[in-house]
Amino acid sequence: MNYHQFKRIKLLIALFISATVAVAIIYNNIILAFAGMIIGISFLFLVKKKTKAVLVDERLENIAGRAARLTYITLTITIGFLSLIFIGTGRRTGETGYEFLGIILSYITLLSVAIYSLSYKYFSKKYGETADEQD
Amino acid sequence: MEKQLTNKIKIYRAIHNLTQEQLAEGVGVTRQTIIAIEKNKYVPSLELAFRIARVFQDSLENIFQYSK
Repeated sequence: MNYHQFKRIKLLIALFISATVAVAIIYNNIILAFAGMIIGISFLFLVKKKTKAVLVDERLENIAGRAARLTYITLTITIGFLSLIFIGTGRRTGETGYEFLGIILSYITLLSVAIYSLSYKYFSKKYGETADEQD
Repeated sequence: MEKQLTNKIKIYRAIHNLTQEQLAEGVGVTRQTIIAIEKNKYVPSLELAFRIARVFQDSLENIFQYSK
């Protein structure tokens, strides 16, 4: 299977998932939505394995890395600020709901930073960083 | 800003009668990556540059030029 065939099949899978989810929403059936998504994703995974053409190369990994970094920075800063705003609003107005939401968002921010730090450390080690190595 | 790393991949492809798709298959990348390298929009890794040079059976310096 070449790259163009893979792209066509990927589009068909996306259409299948969209149609299943749309039908599931109309009939208010969450199981159908999940089933459609799981079948679609599994099929995509199988097709990816069968494809001999190169689907990911160093340029795409580079782009994905940059996009992931930008997403991480944007999301972490936004959620961090939102958590501060919610905690501040909650304390000022006495609404515990706001404060609770702010605390949850701040924990999500911490989790995001923790995952980033751990994965950074892992990849840094994998690609050759050693502690103060000298000749 | 002037491009520092340029290449002659397009010329070499014509000499070897290779399409972008064939070169991409030969070096194990997507056609889009070959297009990006040819247009000097993406600087390939050293490994990929060597693979390209091996396909064209020429030295790296003849295919890629670095100017300060």
